[in-house]
Amino acid sequence: MKFIVCIKQVPDVYAPLQIKNGELSMDTDRMVLNAYDASAVEEALVLTEQHGGEVEVVLIGPDKAKETIRKALAMGASRGHHIHVEDSTGLDSAAFAEILTAFFEKNSCDVIATGKQSQDTDSGLAGGMLAAHLSLPYAANAVGLHIDGGNTLVVKRQGDTGQEMIALPFPCLVTCSNDMNNPRIPSLKGIMASKKKPVESLTLEDLGLTLDGVRESVKTTTLSYREMPAREAGKKLEGDAEELVSNLLNLLQNEAKVL
Amino acid sequence: MSSILVYISTNGGKVKRSSLEVLSHCREQAGKNGLELAAVVLDPRAEDYIDTLQSYGAKTIYTVSNPIFINHLNAPVSQALEQVIAQSKPRVFACASTEGTKDVLGALAARTGGAALPDVAAFDVTADGVSALRPVMAAKILSQNDARADLILVSVRSGSYDASPSPVVAGVVPVDFVPADISQVLRDVLSSAGDKIDLSEANVVVAAGRGIKDEEGKQLVEELADALGAAIGASRAVVENGLFPATTQIGQTGKVVSPELYFAVGISGAVQHTAGMSNSKVIVAINKDGDAPIFQMASYGLVGDLYKILPLLTAEIRALKSA
Ligand SMILES: Cc1cc2nc3c(=O)[nH]c(=O)nc-3n(C[C@H](O)[C@H](O)[C@H](O)COP(=O)(O)OP(=O)(O)OC[C@H]3O[C@@H](n4cnc5c(N)ncnc54)[C@H](O)[C@@H]3O)c2cc1C
Ligand SMILES: Nc1ncnc2c1ncn2[C@@H]1O[C@H](COP(=O)(O)O)[C@@H](O)[C@H]1O
Repeated sequence: MKFIVCIKQVPDVYAPLQIKNGELSMDTDRMVLNAYDASAVEEALVLTEQHGGEVEVVLIGPDKAKETIRKALAMGASRGHHIHVEDSTGLDSAAFAEILTAFFEKNSCDVIATGKQSQDTDSGLAGGMLAAHLSLPYAANAVGLHIDGGNTLVVKRQGDTGQEMIALPFPCLVTCSNDMNNPRIPSLKGIMASKKKPVESLTLEDLGLTLDGVRESVKTTTLSYREMPAREAGKKLEGDAEELVSNLLNLLQNEAKVL
Repeated sequence: MSSILVYISTNGGKVKRSSLEVLSHCREQAGKNGLELAAVVLDPRAEDYIDTLQSYGAKTIYTVSNPIFINHLNAPVSQALEQVIAQSKPRVFACASTEGTKDVLGALAARTGGAALPDVAAFDVTADGVSALRPVMAAKILSQNDARADLILVSVRSGSYDASPSPVVAGVVPVDFVPADISQVLRDVLSSAGDKIDLSEANVVVAAGRGIKDEEGKQLVEELADALGAAIGASRAVVENGLFPATTQIGQTGKVVSPELYFAVGISGAVQHTAGMSNSKVIVAINKDGDAPIFQMASYGLVGDLYKILPLLTAEIRALKSA
């Protein structure tokens, strides 16, 4: 059984950031493995530990993003594929999905796993787009996975009300929630071992693409950024429980008028 | 005349409030741009929703009635929507951002060649496309985005617009839909007690965080929710430890809610949580740590022990409601 997990390097949302004239700048030293992708790697590792097989990862990004591939290898993935795009500014989920499609046309596996969304942009599109381009059955927002009979992936997906158990025959694609598991922290041994694991370097040209060509397929652009308007802090109530409750009820009834 | 096509989500025999919000906003946008407002419903009995949709101004209603839509499966949903899009050729396809629509938006964009703007907080249809505001970086920042394409797909966060009726007489177009053979199989639908009220539609939400330590605390939350007629929500911390089901999670991974009244009980107010509830009208926070970040956004902040406050609060609200 072979999993290939699509992983992305994203800025740490806790890193200090600044907006000037509509442009967003942040500390690019603080880049992390997208939390949702980390859960996808973890689940793929658990399933292959149980049923045999291997986990590979693929990442589109700059040279610096190799550290994120190493992190997945240190967790236990056996091989990385780095599709080198040094400057991906302006590329949207559709563009990344197009590049990943070209990669998967040359690299087959039983299950493609992606994160349910990038934690910096919350787009949540690339997985479904990739499945559609490759004509694969898929399920989104998985909170649990298991393997049935050696050739079926059973996905527990979180829906609007309740959860659905969906069986997908191999090959298939699944997008993963971070509610699925807590990704392991790489051990020292894992980190040492990761340095010897193979990472294939690919260019867009290797996949029959060009950056200009990919840019032409971009249909959405980000024009500017602004701070989220903050809510105003209201009234802070102190006192013993009786006082707090009677003050609150009075305010909810007479000021906010919601009771 | 070209159109804006709104995909309508239903639950328990009713159109979701979030879909009516999108329909109301699209009606205004259609008016401004000389476009027609159309709606599409996929349901075992799609005709049942015609009255509601025309009372919100849908001029054309595509009904796709098929028993396959009794449960959610992305393959037939995408297939039906693709068929209706091919038939009606809208300029803009809009829907509420729900787990059901998130499951199909990417694939639908890829299959129709459309541009997708997911999970927007606001959008305008313009002469040459759509411009939208999207929360990014765990909703700390708003980004201004543009899409240019013959078809643009937009999903809208709940609570972004008000639902306001404006009746018309609609033309109804029943769609002849034959689901293709699909390899995806629905094995089971699991639901839990937390699913009784659709969280993202609720007017009042009581949300529990790590301050709730045990079954006793959980019961205090359930009793307050019962007294208020509220839906129960949760932070990731108490979903992770198994005290509350994942369906109740609010935030970046979980749901976006926008009730009239939101109680954050024992929740610190991490950005990934507030990403899902900052649109609530009135926020009450109960936390024993006076410095918890949730107090910076609470309308009313109660500094104290939830185990002491909740029983009193529930009793007072019960007394008030029975008076
Ligand atoms: C990619 C990503 C996505 C995430 N998505 C989500 C999401 O969708 N939703 C979400 O909620 N989180 C999400 N998180 C997790 C988030 O970062 C926080 O860890 C989480 O919200 C914390 O939950 P909490 O406020 O319940 O717990 P804590 O931060 O531990 O806060 C508990 C609070 O309870 C108070 N308290 C304790 N005892 C009492 C008492 N007796 N009486 C009163 N107050 C008390 C404490 O003072 C404290 O403020 C996500 C994280 C990541 C990285
Ligand atoms: N640059 C990338 N390299 C590899 N995988 C990616 C990349 N961008 C997106 N993905 C995958 O697609 C998922 C959804 O991304 P998005 O549409 O940006 O929310 C991510 O969780 C990743 O699994």
